[in-house]
Amino acid sequence: MRHAGAWLLARADNVAVILFVAMFVSFLLQVFTRYILQDPYGWTTEASLIAWLWIVFWGSGFLLTNRDHVRFDMLYAWVRPGSRRVFALISVVATTLAFATSLPASIDFVSFMRVERSGTLSIRLDYVFSVYLVFAIAIIARYAVYAIRIVRGASPETVFDDAGGADPPR
Amino acid sequence: MSREFLAYLAILFGLGAIGAPIALAMFVAAAAYLAISGRDLGLAAEQIIQGLFNSFIILAVPLFIFAANLMNAGTISDRLMNFCVAIVGRYRGGLAYVNIVTSLIFSGMSGSAIADAAGVGKITTEMMIKDGRYGRGFSAALTAATAVIGPIIPPSIPMVMYALVSDASIGYLFLGGIGPGLLITLVLSVYTFVLARTQLFPVEPPVALAELPRVVFEAFPALLMPVVLLAGIYGGAVTPTEAAAIAAAYALVLATLFYRALSRRSLYAVFSESARSSAAIGLVIGGALIMNYIVASEKIPSLFAGFFAAAEFSPIGFLLAVNVLVLFLGCFLDASTIILVIVPIFVPTCKALGIDLVHFGVVIVVNAMIGLVTPPYGMLLFVIDKTTGITVAETTRAILPFVIILVLALLAMTLFPDIVLWTPRQFGYRG
Repeated sequence: MRHAGAWLLARADNVAVILFVAMFVSFLLQVFTRYILQDPYGWTTEASLIAWLWIVFWGSGFLLTNRDHVRFDMLYAWVRPGSRRVFALISVVATTLAFATSLPASIDFVSFMRVERSGTLSIRLDYVFSVYLVFAIAIIARYAVYAIRIVRGASPETVFDDAGGADPPR
Repeated sequence: MSREFLAYLAILFGLGAIGAPIALAMFVAAAAYLAISGRDLGLAAEQIIQGLFNSFIILAVPLFIFAANLMNAGTISDRLMNFCVAIVGRYRGGLAYVNIVTSLIFSGMSGSAIADAAGVGKITTEMMIKDGRYGRGFSAALTAATAVIGPIIPPSIPMVMYALVSDASIGYLFLGGIGPGLLITLVLSVYTFVLARTQLFPVEPPVALAELPRVVFEAFPALLMPVVLLAGIYGGAVTPTEAAAIAAAYALVLATLFYRALSRRSLYAVFSESARSSAAIGLVIGGALIMNYIVASEKIPSLFAGFFAAAEFSPIGFLLAVNVLVLFLGCFLDASTIILVIVPIFVPTCKALGIDLVHFGVVIVVNAMIGLVTPPYGMLLFVIDKTTGITVAETTRAILPFVIILVLALLAMTLFPDIVLWTPRQFGYRG
């Protein structure tokens, strides 16, 4: 189980790296075609923006642990372990509920965007934006699991450090 | 202020205070806001997706993160420091000057204080504390204070964020950072000079003249980077986002082909790390975009502007008040949170009071960067702890004089807008 988790995490990391390389390379192409060839490709900007959108949601959904996020943890670090459990439980339950209740409306928005296509690449925007739904579902699943594990008695520290298995290769 | 907006604030700050990730707390609060006000819950998704997808300027953020990671992994930082040791290491307190000058040069290629502290800052700090040459607390505090210069001298990630929420020109903001960056370098150098004389800082053996050409040759391609970047942006040839891509490409060529310092594995690690950091920052930016939508639909900015106008705040009085508030918040909040969440509320008031948005932006960015060194929550103190093992408590004991110096510099640029605006005006800024 753990092994499979680590394997999946490493693949998620591969995807993020591929997206990052894609963003970087298409942006460079844009600079190259604009300044060296004097004949800019139109699609490069859009390709980097799509890759960027996917990096943010893919990375946030699968790669960032609770600890990697920007957090204000002074009060959290200061209180006793018992209160920490309560704090952690409140925040993971609230996160799960908020993403779960807004999921249907988010699906409506994304699928409604099928009527539009991106400016130059002409990709249907519901495909481009679908990564948001992947992110939302990943967050719901992960934070629900966090909540269950904290309720069952695991300490929030070990739960939050866990991104589904082990650290990806660094 | 409506009932649902009060609920929004209570949930955002409540969840934030108990340690929930800020980006997720912003989403939870927005969902509650939309639910209570009976609006479409899909609006949160719409705002965050469209906001991230439609802003070209945002792309500068991941590209600058990538460039800085490359420079640190690809020994570019080390070469830069060897160069500075050869140039200023020979004076009394030489390593302290090396710390300042390396940060100054590095700031011309990187837009992040964290990258500065974790890269060149780590190397210089370790040199300073080796064999007990300098006090551990002093070395770490100096590194933290000089890292502040990183995002003030262009390029600058926080200024990109400010441009995003204020619609001020990113090019002029970058230019506006040059004066304040040099001012901070100067005051830190003067302070070091005084300490070096009074506390008899050590002198390093001067680098032999015969060695000099080699050191310069090795550092030269790296030194060229700020020149290329700045000339590109201010010659008007490239946009700041394009400059970020060029900086990253240049760093990549230097690290892999020229210095041959990056294995395939470490290059992968740089990409992976950059993707993660970008995702974390991108999500906070996304959360801030939802917040800006809510704040605007509640007409909060005009409420504020009305309040400050009715209270007959002078522009200077307003600037000082905002500075005090941001300094205070900087002790507890992350700089990106301040710039993306707190600052947009004040931008319309600035317009109403006739305060220049470039001046305001640069002052606020400097202020938020000071927040990175102020305990208890100073991100740079944590980074230095993690990379050098000098604890936050050790640094905290030595940081006070530096904070005072930085605040005085901040006060100077608040009261004398010319420190900020002189450079942009030379390039045609009318403000």
